[in-house]
Amino acid sequence: MSARIPMNRNLLTVAVAAALAVPAASQDVVAVKAGKILTISGPTLENGVILIQNGRIAKVAKASEVEIPWTAKVVDASDKVVMPTWVLAHSQSGNRGMTENMQNVPWLSVADAIDPSSAFFEEALRNGVGTIHVLPGNQTLLGGQGLIVRPYGRTIEDMAVGGNTGVKMSLLSSGGGRLQQIRRMRRAIEDVREYVADFDRRKAEFDKEKAAGAIAKDKEWTEEFDRTKKPAIALVQKKAKGWLFVPSAAEIDEAMRLGQELDLVYLLGANIDEGVAALAKLGVPVVLDDTLEYTEKDAETNVETRHCPAKQLADAGVPFAISLATSGPGSYPWWQLGTLVRNGVDRQKALESLTVVPAQLLGLQDQVGSIAEGKLGNLQVLSGDPLLATSWVETVLLEGQVVYERSSDPRLQLLLAPPAKAAETPSEKASEKTSEKTSEKPPAGTVPAGQAKPNESSNQKTEGK
Amino acid sequence: MQLRSELLSKLLAAAVAAALHLVATAQDGTVVYQGARILPGGKPAIEQGVLIVSGGKILAVGGPATKIPDGAKVVDVAGRTITPGLIDASFAGAIGDEDANEQSSEVTPHLRAFDSIDLQRDAVRNARAAGVTTVHAMPGTSNVIGGLGCVVKTRDTKDGPTLLADEVSLRITMGSDPSRGNRAIRGGRVDSMYYRRPTTRMGVVWEVRKAFYDAKEALERTAAAGPQGGDAATEVLTKVLQGKLVAYTTARSEQDIRTALRLAEEFGYKTVLDEAQDAHVAIDEIAAAKVTVLLGAPSAENVVGRGGGDGSQPRFHTVALLAQRNVPFVVTTGTNAAALDLVREAMFAVRFGLTAEQALDAVTIRPAQLLGIDQRVGSLAAGKDADFVVWSHDPLDPAAVAESVHIDGISVLASR
Repeated sequence: MSARIPMNRNLLTVAVAAALAVPAASQDVVAVKAGKILTISGPTLENGVILIQNGRIAKVAKASEVEIPWTAKVVDASDKVVMPTWVLAHSQSGNRGMTENMQNVPWLSVADAIDPSSAFFEEALRNGVGTIHVLPGNQTLLGGQGLIVRPYGRTIEDMAVGGNTGVKMSLLSSGGGRLQQIRRMRRAIEDVREYVADFDRRKAEFDKEKAAGAIAKDKEWTEEFDRTKKPAIALVQKKAKGWLFVPSAAEIDEAMRLGQELDLVYLLGANIDEGVAALAKLGVPVVLDDTLEYTEKDAETNVETRHCPAKQLADAGVPFAISLATSGPGSYPWWQLGTLVRNGVDRQKALESLTVVPAQLLGLQDQVGSIAEGKLGNLQVLSGDPLLATSWVETVLLEGQVVYERSSDPRLQLLLAPPAKAAETPSEKASEKTSEKTSEKPPAGTVPAGQAKPNESSNQKTEGK
Repeated sequence: MQLRSELLSKLLAAAVAAALHLVATAQDGTVVYQGARILPGGKPAIEQGVLIVSGGKILAVGGPATKIPDGAKVVDVAGRTITPGLIDASFAGAIGDEDANEQSSEVTPHLRAFDSIDLQRDAVRNARAAGVTTVHAMPGTSNVIGGLGCVVKTRDTKDGPTLLADEVSLRITMGSDPSRGNRAIRGGRVDSMYYRRPTTRMGVVWEVRKAFYDAKEALERTAAAGPQGGDAATEVLTKVLQGKLVAYTTARSEQDIRTALRLAEEFGYKTVLDEAQDAHVAIDEIAAAKVTVLLGAPSAENVVGRGGGDGSQPRFHTVALLAQRNVPFVVTTGTNAAALDLVREAMFAVRFGLTAEQALDAVTIRPAQLLGIDQRVGSLAAGKDADFVVWSHDPLDPAAVAESVHIDGISVLASR
């Protein structure tokens, strides 16, 4: 609990109520005044207003064309950039022990491993991430089922956005090499098919015997599929998606063969450059690893080649989503998107790789990933352009609720604000002078009081403990 | 050819001194970079700038009105940004791990990093491709007193590395690096090659004290009875005591920073604090001691709990705090394995509160001044070495790339 970002009392009440009954959504009208709106799916709007009602975007328009209701709660970002929160198509973080030692465990679910108090979710919110697809780790053949969550809430029920999303599969060898893993995967799938065939055969026999009078007429077939097999059965019957980790280009052929039989989304490992041509023929959206660029050294000539599979995919017209690293610069969306642009990916495609493409992969294209009427009020307010190192996420709204404010982010304040001890030293008049100089660009947590919403700031402090 | 152009540049320098207008005559091999935003280092930006290079030296830097010599080759770099070649004041990549730490003794002040430098290493090529043209290389951190650092350009020549300054620093390491892995063999022989001291912070500090006590005594003997002809190690240490050589003390945690300052005060030598990740805690002492701080990898991650080395607790604001308290500082990559390209570290420094100018100065002119090589590199000015980088746009944008990197006027960018 203590690791969570403090919520103000109102939000807390709403969150608790939401956990009990209806999906969390602000009943009030929220109006976000924005200096700039990056809608992602449509044109960029200068001086716009976004009205959110019952958690959904009711209107997006120029400020001059919108009348803000007097009862509306106003988020003033009129000198800032507003855009949809990021969407992560694949994450293995935010859990405790989600990779099972046993290889074939499709009945497990990350819902039982997600830790709502994990620092990962706190960090995600701080980075403007609003939707996360949490899946079991890459080390398990059939690793269990995933869950889509928002990085806010005290229980998994509170965080969950949708039900089970399908089964995580992996071609990463768990011993014995690549071919062994392929054999195991084939065997696992075949086992499920044989089980279903056997089940069907026994049921047909039952029906036949019943028709022949060998079984009493009032006796019904009551047997169901084994509960531990149901998720895998849904997978082989294409009723559920498989999220297949493809560690390198060498496994792409097998991945594509599996894709002919199953409904798969490919989660690509880093070293994938040689497989892009094959993926391009397929043309379906893919998810890239958090390592967006890497160099490969020719063993004989020592010549290094730099690869950016995202750029190759973009050139081939294949939509892609990207992942964020768990630590380091790759955990920052601005760094990841900057890396894409640095490697020649079009800015719009880069932005889409953390918004509309992952939203589509998750089947949430009507809910998240862009700012449009009818979608969820999942917005982030940034101090500047989302692709710049100097920009900070100032506010995050999920379904119209303010769930994060930088001005009351204690951990960030600790890391960014000069220590109290130094500030107290009376002899340091010089430091006061220099701090005035830099006042146009204050460190985090020292947002001028005018920018924080007055009725919230007092609550937040007491709630933080 | 090289010789001739160098001669030419000398002649030209004379011409500059005599009559400025003479410079603007046709010169073979003169190249003009026109139209870029020039960040000269230590000075305000020049819009639509002109950079004139000849014979490996800078002939002129100025605004759009700068006179272009007749017959010079003009390169249009409109929309680009030009900075001086970056200087990494603590770069571990020029020396392989196996060559950085001499194991025959824990105190090896007389060893020279220059003898281990290999500019063919991948790390050097990558740094060069990312705009780093000059590096300060020191011996590794596994010895208490590791040896002498040197400053070289990152371009290898047929005559070997271009040495800008040799024996400019003496690396001393506090904390756990020099004691890591050292074990007294239980029941074994104390003269075993596996028996290495020190094994604690106490031992590390004692080794420093012992070395400097001996050097001090040697100095006193010399003062009393004339030159004694001491060994090479003592000679280096006496130079430090006499203020002729600066110690670079690697001290990451608060405890180690305080120890480093205490030792320098005790023996009266001048030190630079290297990788002072906890500088934000000991900021008052650091400001009072008037030492320069090398800040390794400001991007170092903290938010999700990954700490710094040696039990330090890095804070994002450290770099801004140093600027605020007027502590001279330089941004480096240092020994942090997670360090990014130097330009990206400068970018993170801006994210954490520096101005763009402060951050660029911290990887160009400031390290040049610290290492005493600012007469040749670190800023763009007439007469200095033609070490510069043409960036696609603002180098502090994460999407920026080094389009070309020049050392002594020669383009050195590997394929990208």
